[in-house]
Order: sequence, then C-alpha cells, then structure tokens
Amino acid sequence: MPYLPFLLQGALVTASISLVAIALGIPLGLALAIVRWQRIPLLSQLVALYVSVVRATPAITLALLIFFGSPSIGIVLDATTAAILTLLINTSAFNCEIWRAALIDFPRDQLEAARAYGMSPGLAFRRVILPQVWRTSLPALVNEMTLLVKASPALAVIGIVDLTRAASRIGAATYRPLPPFLAATVIYMLMVMLLVVAQRHVERMVRERYGTG
Amino acid sequence: MASADDARLAVELRKLGKRYGSLQVLADIDFSVATGATVCILGPSGSGKSTLLRCINFLVRPDEGEVYLHGKRIGVKNGASMTERELCRYRVRMGMVFQHFNLWPHLTVLENVIEAPMHVLGRPRADAVGQGKALLAKVGLAEKQDVYPHTLSGGQKQRVAIARALATNPDVLLFDEPTSSLDPEIIGEVLSVMEELSAEGMTMIVVTHEMGFAREAADAVIFMDAGRIVEKATPEAFFTRPSTKRAQQFLQRYMR
Amino acid sequence: MIRDFAVALAHYDAYLNGLWNTLWLSAATLVLASLAGAAVAALMLARNKAMRLAAAAFVDAMRCVPFLLFAYLVYYGLPALSLQLDSWACGLIALVIYHTAYMAEIVRGAWTNLSREQIEAGRAYGFAGFPLFRRIILPQLFFASVPVIGNQSIYILKDSAFLMIITVPELTFAASSVQSTYFVPFASFVIAMLLYWLVTLGIEAAVKRVELAAEVRRG
Repeated sequence: MPYLPFLLQGALVTASISLVAIALGIPLGLALAIVRWQRIPLLSQLVALYVSVVRATPAITLALLIFFGSPSIGIVLDATTAAILTLLINTSAFNCEIWRAALIDFPRDQLEAARAYGMSPGLAFRRVILPQVWRTSLPALVNEMTLLVKASPALAVIGIVDLTRAASRIGAATYRPLPPFLAATVIYMLMVMLLVVAQRHVERMVRERYGTG
Repeated sequence: MASADDARLAVELRKLGKRYGSLQVLADIDFSVATGATVCILGPSGSGKSTLLRCINFLVRPDEGEVYLHGKRIGVKNGASMTERELCRYRVRMGMVFQHFNLWPHLTVLENVIEAPMHVLGRPRADAVGQGKALLAKVGLAEKQDVYPHTLSGGQKQRVAIARALATNPDVLLFDEPTSSLDPEIIGEVLSVMEELSAEGMTMIVVTHEMGFAREAADAVIFMDAGRIVEKATPEAFFTRPSTKRAQQFLQRYMR
Repeated sequence: MIRDFAVALAHYDAYLNGLWNTLWLSAATLVLASLAGAAVAALMLARNKAMRLAAAAFVDAMRCVPFLLFAYLVYYGLPALSLQLDSWACGLIALVIYHTAYMAEIVRGAWTNLSREQIEAGRAYGFAGFPLFRRIILPQLFFASVPVIGNQSIYILKDSAFLMIITVPELTFAASSVQSTYFVPFASFVIAMLLYWLVTLGIEAAVKRVELAAEVRRG
C-alpha cells in the first residue's frame, strides 16, 4: 500500500489531538465536578446546564458549531485548536459526571476522620479523597477515552486531516474507497483496543494493591 | 472568663445545646474534664452521646453554649464563628477514635499514623516515622506497619486508629463507641490499650457501652438520656447506688 | 447576532424536516437494533460454541469501531456487493447493524442478571413456556434494561448526526445547509444543538417515569 504513510500521518494527527483532549479533559472534568459537589451557588447550576447540553450534542454538530460559528462571536480559531476544543468540551462534560459519581459515593467516615485530625478541607481533598476517587473513576474515565477516540472522526468535517479524512482523500484519489477505509478502521480498532487493555491492566493492579474493600 | 482552675480543666462544656430542625438533640450540657482524667459517657441509643462528643471537637457545631479546651474557647473567635481552617488548629490537639475505625484505605498502616503529623503539623518525615513505629509497637502492631488496612481484623484496625490518634500528641483523646463494631473476643485487646492509656494519665472522654471499662478505668461517669445529662457521679457511686430512676432502669438492662 | 437567529429561525421548516428525519432514523434504529440485538444475545448464550464465539466477535468488533467509519464501510461496501442503495438506506443499515451489537450486550447483561428466584416462583405457580416469558421474565427484563436502553437511544440519536457526511438529510445536515446558504453558522448550529438537547431531555424524562414505576414495584 503506497498510501500507508499518509494514512499513518492521519493516525498520528488523530492520536495527538485525542491525547491533548484527554489530558486536559480529565482535570477539567474534575474541576467541574468539584463545583457541583461543593454546591457553589450559580456556578453549580451553570455547570449542570453545560453538562446536560454538551452530553446531548453530537460531536460533529459541536465541531461545526465551534469551527464555523466562533467567528460570528468574534473568536477566530484555526482548525487544530477548534478540533482540540471540540473534543475537550465534549469529554469534559462526560468526565464531570464520572468524577461526580465517585465524589458523591465517597464514604463520609473517612472525611470525618480527616476533619477530626485537623486536616483543612483542601488538605483532606488532596490526601484522602483524590487518591481514592481517581481509582474508583479510572475504569469509567478510560471508557470515556475510547468514546473520545471513536468520536474523533467528526473532526474530518472541519478540515483536520485526521485518520478518517486521510482515508477519505486516498479513496477519492484512487477511486477505490474501500481499502483505505478498511485500513483506517483497523488502525482505530487498534487504538481503542490499546486503551481497553491498558484499563484492564490498571484495574487489576489497583485491585491487587488496595483490595476490593 | 478564665479562672485559676482552667489550667487543670482540659475540656469544659457550658450550657451546650444542639437542634436538628425541630428536634432538640442536646440541651443544657454542662460538664468538665480535668487534665489526666478519664470520663465515660453512658446512655441509651439516641441519647445524643455521639453528637455531644462531636461538639467537643466541633465536627458538629453546637447551637448554644460554649466549649473550652484548656481554658481557650473553641468555635467562636471575637464574636464570630470560627472557619474550618481555624478549627483545624484545635482539632489537631484532640485525637479521635471512631466506632468504624475510619482508617484511610489507600495508605498503609504506618502511612495512616504519620499522615496527620506530617501534613497537618508539618513534622519532618523521619520524626513522624520514628514516632509512628514506636506508637505501633505500643499498641502491639509493630510488624503490621507496611500492610494495608483491609488485611487487618477489626481489633487490629482499632488499635492502629488509636496509634494514629496518639501520633499528633493530643491533649485530649475522644472515643466514640470504640468497641461497638468489634466481635466480643476482640474487644479485650482494644480495651486493654485504652486502660493503659488511662493509667498513663491521658485525658480521655469515652462514649461506650462497655460497663466493665467504665467501672475500672473511669474517674467520672456521665449518664445521658434524651439529650440531657441525667447523672454525674464516680463509677463506684453510679454502678452501686444510681440516684436517678432512668439510670437505675438503664443499668438493670445492661448489667448481667 | 439576534438578526442571525431571526434569519435561521425563519427557515424553521428546514430544521423541523431534519429533526423529523433524525427522530425517524433513531426510532427505527432503536426498534430494529433491539430485536436484532436480542437475537444476537440469544446467540451469545447459545450452547453451540461456534455461534457463541461468532456473536461475541461481532459485538466486540463493533464496539471498537468508530461509527462514522462503519457508516463509510457500509456506504462504499454495499455497492461492492452489487447492492445499490441510496444514502438513507445505507445510513439506516449502518445504524442498525452498529447498535445491534450494543443492544446485544445490554440484553445479555439484563438476562444474566435476572433473578432466578422469581422465575422459580413463577414456575412453581404453574407458569411455563410463553406465558412464563411474557408475564414473569419480560417485565423484569424490561424494568432492568430501560435505563440502559434509554442511554443507548441517546447514543443512537447522536450517531445519526454522523450520517450528514454521507448526505443523509437529518438535523445537522439541515443546520449545515441553512448556515451555508444564509451565512448564519453560530445561530444555525446552536438551534440544532438545542433541538438535540430537547429530544434528549424527553428521553431522560421518559426513562425516569419508567424507573419510578419500577421503584413502586421494587420498593
């Protein structure tokens, strides 16, 4: 396949944009979850609205809105920034709910002990809550990563030459669309499977070290 | 309102009250604990004992009354309620042992013990570890320092919790039904650690159902019912000649 | 900006048309994928090992593939199999096959989590065969899976938007057409976003009603 390098370049674009969105989306989701968990007035409701609307929006619609719509409100974005922003906004909403579920479920007993020992709320969060909550959230967070990668083909419509667009271009040039799309499918599957394997590995490690209790 | 006696009083509660909605959970609570004394709080379930204990270190904020730790008022500063951060300074001077141990599962036994000394008091790691190991040896769990809490039995967890409470060199130790979650055979190992601490002169306030411990180790017994203190007496007086009807009924049910 | 929204909203028929198509596609997919998914779930629990492995392979594969890629494969692949279908049909087929895999997983999960005791009680009271299935098993399956199926239908709704790329005239395609004709991108896509949101709220409200009904029975 002479076009393989071009395809792999597209795969690299997909992977790098996805990784940036994932890396930023996890802490952003946590920040949003904390706002709701702490019931900060006004901000809490805004976050709830944001999460509700973004989770209902298809990735492709969001991408089109951000890339083509932003100039209308005075913001000029290049395609790559718009792409990262799209995936970031999308994943942060889902991550917020994941973190929030873990925070709500967190045993009050341990918090009571932390307070009794004179830990300030910030210290208690950093040393007691966060280390445990990230372990509970990990499977769901990795699942969301796979969903992000599976949604990333949406970026092809805003001019990013990601894996999907690369396959599309090759198909257009060679008049044989099926082979490049099949190859692209395989590459996507490998990316997703990599994440799934990593998740199972981490789950096992956490279970062995800290027990199921 | 400092008096000469204040230095001898580790904890003093004056006219404490707490309401949850329309329910008066605590009313007119008045008592003091001398430095080095062990006071046991007894009473039926729902009498407000746990809430009272939590008012002492302000895990629960009382609606009325005052709390003093070694003569200094907790919870209110210059007429305004203290913030959580300000309360932290007082809380770290009181150790608390909980009914369900409340150990932090993501830390090893030793890490649980050194956590507050290092991160709340800012002690260097070497000091905290040295003291932590000594405390674990004192409660008989030196060899368990590197395991995670989920591998321990209830009695072992509670002893770790006691070591953890001692690690910040507290002025007062608060115990909230420390043996209520333990199997009968294991209660003894925890009670003997508590008796030793009491004998060594630690100021302790213990909410418990263990009458034997109260009889042997307490300097004073406080009996509560329906949010009020019904009787205050020495253990001998309380267990042999309870002066109130409620106390008599309670003891009849609990003593074998 | 207000002017933009006014312009976009003046073409409300385009959005409603697109919304209707989106809803139609999603509902059809939900029904067909549920039925096919139940069948695949049955295969996953079959005695025949080859059938079990084939079904599991299908489900695992679909769950690793991005939907847009699969839609492309169907769109370009069917002609290769001498099936000349329009983009509508290709889109629907892609949605149905893709979500059959997810539905199979949901049904299989609900089936394996069925309470054995209740079925036993049903049989002890003389229920058997179809009546057993209809009056004892099916209600349990239903109440257990409705929240998850509700969730999945939101995914179906969102996946349908990808079909705009193969020119299926659903809601996002409509929004895109309006914006490119009248140059109101922000307004146009915001309207589309709000419509998706309203539909999602509707689905979530319906799921809540069913969950309440389940609570009443479960206590």
